[in-house]
Amino acid sequence: MRLIIRDDPTAVGDYIANYITKRINDFKPTEKKPFVLGLPTGSSPIPTYKALIKLVKDGKLSFKNVVTFNMDEYVGLPQDHSESYHTFMFREFFSHVDINPDNVNILDGNVHDLVGECKRYEAKIKSYGGIELFLGGIGEDGHIAFNEPGSSLASRTRIKTLAYDTILANARFFNNDIDAVPRMALTVGVATVLEAREVVVVVTGQRKSLALSKAIEEGVNHLWTLSALQMHPWALIVVDEDATAELHVKTVKYFKSIERVQDEVEQRHAALRAKGDPEGNDPVGSME
Amino acid sequence: MTSTNGLICFTNCLLPLEDGSLVRKDLWIDERRGVVLDAQRTFFSKKQRPAREIDMQGNIVSPGFLDIQINGAYGFDFSVYESEEAYREGLNTVSEKIVETGVTSLVPTLITQDKALYPTILPLLRPFTHPQGATLLGWHAEGPFLQLAKRGAHAPAFLRSAPEGFASFEAVYGASNLAIAEDWLMEGNAVGVRIITAAPEIDGVMDAVSALGERGIVYSIGHSIATTDIATEAVRRGARLITHLFNAMPLLHHRDPSIIGLLGASPHLVSSFTPLAPSSPASPVRPAHASARTKTKAQSEAFDEHDTPPQTPLLAAVHAAAKVPRLGLHLEKGQVADMAFQRPYYELIVDGIHSHPNSVRLAYNAYPEGCILITDAMKILDPHLKDGVHEWRDGKRFVKEGVKLYLEGTDTLAGSVVTLDTCVRNFSRFTGCSLGEAIKCATVNPAKCLGIENSKGTLRPGADADLVVLSRRGDVLSTWIRGKEVWKKS
Repeated sequence: MRLIIRDDPTAVGDYIANYITKRINDFKPTEKKPFVLGLPTGSSPIPTYKALIKLVKDGKLSFKNVVTFNMDEYVGLPQDHSESYHTFMFREFFSHVDINPDNVNILDGNVHDLVGECKRYEAKIKSYGGIELFLGGIGEDGHIAFNEPGSSLASRTRIKTLAYDTILANARFFNNDIDAVPRMALTVGVATVLEAREVVVVVTGQRKSLALSKAIEEGVNHLWTLSALQMHPWALIVVDEDATAELHVKTVKYFKSIERVQDEVEQRHAALRAKGDPEGNDPVGSME
Repeated sequence: MTSTNGLICFTNCLLPLEDGSLVRKDLWIDERRGVVLDAQRTFFSKKQRPAREIDMQGNIVSPGFLDIQINGAYGFDFSVYESEEAYREGLNTVSEKIVETGVTSLVPTLITQDKALYPTILPLLRPFTHPQGATLLGWHAEGPFLQLAKRGAHAPAFLRSAPEGFASFEAVYGASNLAIAEDWLMEGNAVGVRIITAAPEIDGVMDAVSALGERGIVYSIGHSIATTDIATEAVRRGARLITHLFNAMPLLHHRDPSIIGLLGASPHLVSSFTPLAPSSPASPVRPAHASARTKTKAQSEAFDEHDTPPQTPLLAAVHAAAKVPRLGLHLEKGQVADMAFQRPYYELIVDGIHSHPNSVRLAYNAYPEGCILITDAMKILDPHLKDGVHEWRDGKRFVKEGVKLYLEGTDTLAGSVVTLDTCVRNFSRFTGCSLGEAIKCATVNPAKCLGIENSKGTLRPGADADLVVLSRRGDVLSTWIRGKEVWKKS
């Protein structure tokens, strides 16, 4: 696992956006071989989306041959409701970039057969050969997607009941009316995320600092589902200074030191690629 | 340049929302169908996104303006009939040229006519869409059921009462021109009646108000000396509008605030109207003092050159003893007690002449939701007309000074020549409100008054893509009719 620490959420967004841009551009996606990207909602990824939009407008990145899969969606909330994740994704991202609507996948929480919808979603991900890069965020309780504390770390896309904490936290988006907050969501599972070839998670703000510490400084634990990332061979967490508040100084120093080494390795790979050496096309992975 | 899939995205722009705010947001339209799109639904359900994107460089993309009271423009007077051909050509000219002022829909206004002329003109004012010009929404008949003492430029000889109530209206306008709402709200509407201005104190008018409302016709109070009681009762019966507020009506008197007072209608009052049959102020008997001063001079249709009749209004407070039921009190700050009725919309001519800026602000602060900007312009409205002396009619000439028009050799104002985009800018300056709130008074509010806000005056999905692009200073940069640019500032 790699942990990148930046000063503030904007710098975190810029880092991730540049990182994703590089990954997509190196991948050289085509219509036949699109880049498959997993996407989150929530406040943490907004600076990343803003930075990606700017890169598209500046002509440095295109989503023409990118296929996206979103992590989750509420059950029973109309698609055009102001708090639906369809609305969020359209407002914050899809309306501003050149993505083909046919390439956008978001779980439909309004179908009759919810279980079938989840199965279809998993199957569709597989039909593209899996997700190349899954971008995620976390909740204060360390949940990734709607995989609340206690979720199976082997879980797949399914119906999930929201934790009381999450309902309370979301009530502010529903006129502080707890009864108006949907009780259920469809969400990709922890295993679905872990199956992606690469996982990038954004964690910003002091309120997320305990979850970050639990996820990377302690053992794998279903009460902090992000900790499952420790089992992933190619994971990247990008955080701001505030989010490191609960980390040991040693942890922070360690990850800062490997960032420098990582840079050197990447430069070496780029040089190999330039020479036409096939080793340069391998994923760089993390340094452990 | 057109879009390959017919969809256009306006980006990097500000959109006026229906609450008067201006927000940074994209607007998607379908240029082939000429409508505003629900962008999110188009994306997720239709799986489409616009092939053409237009960078609006931070300017405002607003619904086109609606002018619901305009007497003429570009040399054509809606109230002058020479021949059918000339009339149709005149309508065409106005429709094509007025878009430069940001107006994409208008309600041509017919001032009081000889009764014989209504059957000739009204059928020509059926709703009319022009591919390159503003939509004519139908007609606004101002008169002939008006108060003689507040007639403005309306010809006294043609004013009349309505002793048979609605039947008198049918007798004047023609029964076929006053069809039921469902018939003219539909597309391809055959009948054009939209608004009728009449004075509620005129014999028989009050009895016709509810019948007009049932037909979806906006009954507007104007050219009237109605007392508070009468004005209130008219609203209770369905009056939806006040014609050019402050003009051609009693001044605001604190003991009987009359028509203007409707803007401050108190929840405390429950109308105690009793029909006042006999006094029939339409008959030329009573306001003789007013007609005595009448001279044959050019006037603004709305401008009141007559003395205001008795400030203690004509039909004195006969209800003094009426019982007012005790309403309950409530304890919620900011909440207003339930009103017995909805206050009417009101038209304002914001040229700085017909209403003082203070009056404009007073009215707007009293009831912002009801404010509708109009030009009430005369046929000489034409922003290209240079200041100086111009020929008018009957050998008269007028002097144009900016938006002021005088009869040559006098200081008599000859009417309004203000354009609606100027009114919007003036309104923002006069009231101190934001440009977005001023735009609302020329778009959403008039559309709601007419009940057509799903197709005109808003950016709702499915609404006609009639748009005006404004700079952040409120200047018109371009105008679009049903998805096509028809005028552009050079």
